[in-house]
Amino acid sequence: MNLAAVFARAGVRVKASFRESSWVIGETVFPFLSMSAFVLVYRGLHAPKEYEGFVVLGGAMIAYWNNVIWGMASQFFWEREQGQLQLYLITPVSRMSILLGMALGGIAMTTTRAVAILVGGMLLFHVELPLSRALPAFGLFLLTLGAAYSLGMILSSLFLLWGREVWHTATILQEPVYLFSGFYFPVSAMGAVVAILGSILPVTLGLDGIRQIFYGKAAHGLLPLGWIPPIQIALTAIFLTIASVMLRYMENLGKHEGRLTMRGD
Amino acid sequence: MKRLLQVLRASAWLGWQVEANWADPLLFLIYAVAKPLATTSILYYMVKVVSHGSATAETFRYIFIGNTFFIYVTEVLIGISWTVFRDREDYETLKYIYVSPVRLMPYLLGRAFTRVGTATVGVLVALLFGRLALGLPIGVSTTPWLLVLAAVVLGLVGVLWLGIILAGTSLVVARHSMNLNEGLSGLFFLLCGAVFPLDVLPPAARAISLALPFTYWLELLRRMLTGRDFAHSLATMSDGDLWRVIALATAGLCAAAFLWFGWCERIARNRGLIDWKTNY
Repeated sequence: MNLAAVFARAGVRVKASFRESSWVIGETVFPFLSMSAFVLVYRGLHAPKEYEGFVVLGGAMIAYWNNVIWGMASQFFWEREQGQLQLYLITPVSRMSILLGMALGGIAMTTTRAVAILVGGMLLFHVELPLSRALPAFGLFLLTLGAAYSLGMILSSLFLLWGREVWHTATILQEPVYLFSGFYFPVSAMGAVVAILGSILPVTLGLDGIRQIFYGKAAHGLLPLGWIPPIQIALTAIFLTIASVMLRYMENLGKHEGRLTMRGD
Repeated sequence: MKRLLQVLRASAWLGWQVEANWADPLLFLIYAVAKPLATTSILYYMVKVVSHGSATAETFRYIFIGNTFFIYVTEVLIGISWTVFRDREDYETLKYIYVSPVRLMPYLLGRAFTRVGTATVGVLVALLFGRLALGLPIGVSTTPWLLVLAAVVLGLVGVLWLGIILAGTSLVVARHSMNLNEGLSGLFFLLCGAVFPLDVLPPAARAISLALPFTYWLELLRRMLTGRDFAHSLATMSDGDLWRVIALATAGLCAAAFLWFGWCERIARNRGLIDWKTNY
């Protein structure tokens, strides 16, 4: 039954994401525009070509991070606003299976956006991504997504009880995270202490590792590449455990305080 | 006029309550300045990592000024059109505003003042951050500070009218189209050369860039704050020329906003869209 819930929730997300054409355009073309501005910053600075590649890879990863924030963490908030949260809660399935469905559907939805950014970056800006190294990069990318969406499940439990601060918190998890995760520059540029603190976010090390795979020493990696996959696996396990506990705790707290059916506006 | 001022003041106060009454002022301030500070820092590190190349402190100052003042465009432009969606669909209050003795356009302008306020805080904090944390000189000995203020206000008026045009569009389109409004802001960020010299744009994009008033606005601010011109494409234009372009564009946007918003408002009323709900 839990597996069926995963597929059902993922299916809704996949279908919904392609139903509204303005949404598809909005989530592919417009993030591409912002990313292009940062590519042109490096071009204006006459930076080495691989820096433009850093931005394109970062732009693709931003699509997933934004999906974690707006499509995972905030989702129970939106469901509550629309009066659907209680329907989830009375179903005989695990909350984690619903969130896993959201994650898988969100990954499918976001992949179209990320591919558009990667292909657009390669075609329009002639960014070089050595395809011979694509397989290990893809492997690390999958591990990174696992850890990032597990973190999204933890955030989802926190956002479950919040009101209007959800909006602002989600916003605060965008640009500041783009900074501390080094989406547009090698994270090691901020110094070891800040960069290691930023590595609590799985996207930081994931992006650092993927850049190392593609660009080698030019990526100015933070940690040795071999360390990153085990760290991502460990982060996934830790985040999933915490998410499971947090979801139960926050749901019970919400029931006690009567906040599961309240409108946040 | 007195009535107009009353409406502006009341809707600005309402906008402030909607935006900020859920948090204490310090927490709200942190939320308000996090984005501009983070974006400034991103650009700082981007310049820093290539500083062995041609990137200099002067280059970063160029990027910094453009990025900082562009906060107004992002915040205010998106803020006004978002107000329509929030009032119409989340709070379901747009219909009540509509039947009250208040015109919709002044109401939306008043609501936008809150965004102008938060954007101003963001700009000031970013400028202070640039000066104190990054050691950037803000202005030179010849900087005409009153004219800088006047240029900021003039550009802001243009942004407000463009925001009204987008708000008019928002009245007749579904909520999903919010993406388009945000995208327009991203498009301006790219095409106005907010964070890179116009000269790196492909020729076709540069032609579009030169048709946008914000391109001239940012160049004027950069010239006044650094004492030198930056975009080679605008090198033949004097400061007076830039002022004239911005003033004419603002007047044009004002006229277009009145016509477009009035038309959209009529369409929305005729089609019963004032209480439309599309957040399904």
